[in-house]
Amino acid sequence: MNGMGEMSSVLRIILIIGSLIFFVFIMNMVRTKKLELKYALTWILTSFSFVLLSIFPEILFFIAALMHIELPVNALYLCVISLLLLIVFTLSVAVSRQALRIKTLVQEIGLIKETLERMKKEG
Amino acid sequence: MEQMEKYNLKTLVIIPAYKEAKNLPRLFRELKEVPLDFDIVVINDCSPDDTEAVCRQHGIPVVSLPVNLGIGGAVQTGYKYALEHGYDIAVQMDGDGQHDPRFLKLVLSRIYEGYHMSIGSRFIEGKGYQSSLTRRAGIKFFSWLIKLLTGQYISDPTSGFRACSRELIRLFAGSYPKDYPEPETIVTALRNKYRIAEVPVIMRPRQSGESSITRNLAAYYMIKVTLAVIMAAIARKNGDGAK
Repeated sequence: MNGMGEMSSVLRIILIIGSLIFFVFIMNMVRTKKLELKYALTWILTSFSFVLLSIFPEILFFIAALMHIELPVNALYLCVISLLLLIVFTLSVAVSRQALRIKTLVQEIGLIKETLERMKKEG
Repeated sequence: MEQMEKYNLKTLVIIPAYKEAKNLPRLFRELKEVPLDFDIVVINDCSPDDTEAVCRQHGIPVVSLPVNLGIGGAVQTGYKYALEHGYDIAVQMDGDGQHDPRFLKLVLSRIYEGYHMSIGSRFIEGKGYQSSLTRRAGIKFFSWLIKLLTGQYISDPTSGFRACSRELIRLFAGSYPKDYPEPETIVTALRNKYRIAEVPVIMRPRQSGESSITRNLAAYYMIKVTLAVIMAAIARKNGDGAK
């Protein structure tokens, strides 16, 4: 069969181990508070669905059949790439917002320093 | 009436400066010789040289930014300063000596006449420093693009020698482009129905230091500013969503 019914067992084991490591890593990042919860949620869900998919690839077969994609692995690529695009775009938005906030803060600090200095001079 | 009013208008000269310690003393001296009543503020964009010390020596108020923001962020700080201190007119002048303070009065005259922005253009009379051929071609392109988008011909859309009325001080203090802001802000102002005039000025080649637009960045500059200008033309009116 052309990859529809059975995924190679080696690939499956690699995927299960990889996704488990990824999940544990993410959870550890959250636990040690290195990842803000807002962003962590996306990654927890992502890594959890990787674990699910690698253990029950049937889900993927179902999705592939639903979307008329011949090879399940292509359905996987499609899902992962879409998800990544979404995450990267969200981050770009977040970075733009941060940049604007930092700029405003820097300007405000500069102006306050100038006022402070003038007040000092005037006594 | 206008004669009466114009002498009561509080005027601020904004000088964005990055590594201009060598050029500023001459500019201060020339500004002092101008027979007009105005204040000066230098926005020191985190220069590693003595820019801040030079300003203090000359008793010029200086806002020192703790982080380098680039020309747009620095100029916007100037507009915020103008807004905070209730200035009626703000004039931008480069700290590198390209802009001759003797033309200050002429640039301001259009604001007295009721225009919201007055731009010092080096191309109306074509005297003085005209910059290189490729640069002129780029500037010509932006003139054409702005004419296409707004209907008004601006001969020197990249000129940083410009005066703004109180309305535009408020607008620019609220939002201002990050880098290469000049052509974009012209379109933003025109789109919000503000009136812009140009006056002929003679610019000088910069005294020392180098332009922010180097040869390698020229293509990037052209693409970025073209996009920014088009975006400004289709942006929402009054403030561009940067809040």
